[in-house]
Amino acid sequence: MPRRVAVTGVGVVSPTGIGVEAFWEALMTARRGIGEIIAFDAHKFPCRIGAELADFSARGYVPKSYRKSVKVMARDIEIAVAAADLAFRDAGIVTRGIEEGKENVEAKRLGCNIGAGLICVDLDELGAAVNTALTDGRFDIRKWGSGGMSNLTPLWLLKYLPNMLSCHVTIIHGAEGPSNTITCCDASAHMAVGEATRMIARDAADVIVAGGAESKLNPMGLLRQGLLGRLCTEGNDRPADACRPFDAAHSGTVIGEGGGLLVLEDYDRAKQRGARIYAELIGFGAACDPAGMDITTATAGGLDLAAAKAIADAGIAPEQVDLIVAHGTAVPAEDQRECAAWQAALGSDATSKPAVSITGGTGSLYAGAGGAELATAALALHHQVIPPTVNFTAREDRCGLGMSDQPREHEINYVITGAFSIGGQSAACVLKRAEA
Amino acid sequence: MSDRRVVITGMGTVNPLGHGVEDMWEAMLACRSGLCKTDLFDASTYPTTFSAQVKDYNLADQVPNAARHAHAGRHATFALGAAAQAWKQAELAACDAIDPAKLGIYLGSGEGSLDFERFTSLLVDTWADGKIDTRRWAELAFQRMDLSHEVEQESNMVLAHLAAEFGARGPAFNVLTACAASTQAMGEATMQIRHGDVDVMITGGAHSMIHPFGMTGFNRLTALSTRNDEIATASRPFDLTRDGFVLGEGASILIFEDYEFARARGAKVLAEIIGYGSSADAFRITDQDPEGDGAATAMRAALADAKLTPADIDYISAHGTGTKQNDQVETRAVKAVFGERAYKVPVSSVKSMVGHLIAAAGATELITCVLAIRDQVLPPTTNQTTPDPDCDLDYVPNAPRQAEVATVMSNSFGFGGQNNTLIIKKAD
Repeated sequence: MPRRVAVTGVGVVSPTGIGVEAFWEALMTARRGIGEIIAFDAHKFPCRIGAELADFSARGYVPKSYRKSVKVMARDIEIAVAAADLAFRDAGIVTRGIEEGKENVEAKRLGCNIGAGLICVDLDELGAAVNTALTDGRFDIRKWGSGGMSNLTPLWLLKYLPNMLSCHVTIIHGAEGPSNTITCCDASAHMAVGEATRMIARDAADVIVAGGAESKLNPMGLLRQGLLGRLCTEGNDRPADACRPFDAAHSGTVIGEGGGLLVLEDYDRAKQRGARIYAELIGFGAACDPAGMDITTATAGGLDLAAAKAIADAGIAPEQVDLIVAHGTAVPAEDQRECAAWQAALGSDATSKPAVSITGGTGSLYAGAGGAELATAALALHHQVIPPTVNFTAREDRCGLGMSDQPREHEINYVITGAFSIGGQSAACVLKRAEA
Repeated sequence: MSDRRVVITGMGTVNPLGHGVEDMWEAMLACRSGLCKTDLFDASTYPTTFSAQVKDYNLADQVPNAARHAHAGRHATFALGAAAQAWKQAELAACDAIDPAKLGIYLGSGEGSLDFERFTSLLVDTWADGKIDTRRWAELAFQRMDLSHEVEQESNMVLAHLAAEFGARGPAFNVLTACAASTQAMGEATMQIRHGDVDVMITGGAHSMIHPFGMTGFNRLTALSTRNDEIATASRPFDLTRDGFVLGEGASILIFEDYEFARARGAKVLAEIIGYGSSADAFRITDQDPEGDGAATAMRAALADAKLTPADIDYISAHGTGTKQNDQVETRAVKAVFGERAYKVPVSSVKSMVGHLIAAAGATELITCVLAIRDQVLPPTTNQTTPDPDCDLDYVPNAPRQAEVATVMSNSFGFGGQNNTLIIKKAD
């Protein structure tokens, strides 16, 4: 018999709130985290707004002995490191990074599975080195090879490897069990959590910290997403209103930065130690859409199939789903495709089912998105309340999901959440209310 | 949950030793080196001027409609070629039984290469007062940079090309656990088949870091061999004179499928995957655990998964990068797991010939494991001249060897400490 898997900890680092209480309060009060970008001068970008983590550093989330390592962490890594610390503390899991000598989990049974994106190099750092290797005002690769490159710190590459999110977390917390890094853009965190759930179910680990983190809030991110035509360019003067998933006035997404990690735990172990169980993870499915190769055509990455598989895996009927935590990029064609996918998976019922998307407040978190969405699903089950969807005022005709701009008290037993990537991959998870 | 058996029915590769499995194998059994002076860009003044490049590769020779992949990154074109070979060997084109929803892809593919010329021109043209003028940068970047080239750098795009080429609608995952990525991908692909999510998985990896900043990154880490005057013999895993790994590129793709599904369609089974283990060193980002505890944990987990003991393993395909540290630590880890038997199990590293394909390394090596079982011959570790007292196992030095091989372990250890081990055995 596969083992049951409980969600016992939530660690969220989001532009609307850091930590589980702040994040939940932000959700319930429809806090809006999008503003003019201040990390760099973005005035000449067609979209110059974003959801930034203001004054954020991982320094406060690592043991003192590890603080100097923060210097070799890209922003994405810092987010993951902070989220892991928050998640373990929230779960009451004591690792060596929380309090050495007081560990309550065996190192080899503690795993890590963190979704990551394409981490962007720091342009100022690389620019400073590149500009030492010029001939007649142009980059000269021979000068670069013979000397210019030595202006980069020896560990330069290690700041930008996507597996460094997982690696720093495993090192800080002494997690010696299974460790993975999934790089499938927006679908990464659902995949990581689904895969981690299976690892615990098959007894390969007892506890796994899983989810995703990313920051595309940098010039390369704005460029790439801008070239794709996915960004809202009409909201520069009213940033807080700009990102409107599933709303009649949706006009593109806004880049955010952040992520979320869950502590997943063998259900019996969690019960035995008297842990608070937010929810049980009971279903997982993934799929892809071959049309995703054409990046100029919106797809939902086969989310209909991923969601149907997750529901079947959970052993429930589609009508038993009480809440959809949707992905909601606010890119009109993507919202429409996503709605069609939920309707295909859940039946005509999908239109009247309560649904929520958090993107209006947090912006798009890419590989981190699923982590925050899964956290939202777990917290909604725990509190038995559906948070409002920020900036949702009027339903778009082709986006028939049951969003509301108000919080709703509702009996929730089963929640489905899913996400999809540019490129055509998707994944979905089903969570169940914890037994009293 | 069913516990289905998982078998290999197809293999393909594009790497520095050839554009197909048999070409690569012939080269390895002849102890040939795939290393050469780097000519993908001007590396003449780099600390390391050579690498293991894929040569004379043309996607149109591999797939019927290469034009639809015109935007594919270099590593994605390698993956398409390798996958087309594997697909053909598995005879899946003729298979009507396959449900696209039960056809998945699980890869360990790297990021695509930066659009180097244009990217650096921006860094130069917008440099002002010690930093990038992001206003100017934005204006120029939107004029100069190309949409496809930018998006194809996301490592999930290789999945997109393979899904389009083979019509897959099942789960599609990409992992990037550095040098362990494709081994991890194949391990998790196995788990998805066992679980019943899919009947068939296209799995393996693809990577090319032979570009100006990739070489820069590894040179700054002093991880690469700098034996610029002895290029052909520069990759020397386990030898006392080793001075770093040699960066390679390529892709290797395998078809994994449910044993019953393969049998029902009359597929030829090449080998069976029986064990998978994953672990983390949890030590340091810059160094491996010197005791090799993390590596040993992965090997033990794979043995436990396969319900085997060390006595059952006939051959180990080493990670064997040729860095001072890896080869010493790996040797120590093998001894920790295998005890006295460590001296009796042949261990070899084909990286001595093909270089280090990073994310694609593990899949390339697993193909050699299948071929070792098929032909009852072990590929050598070449360039062994001076034994290292810390590396005192049987590394199959300098020449292939006939051997009875039924069960094989393949190791991959990623930079940062993610370790993965697979065990395969001869088909029934």
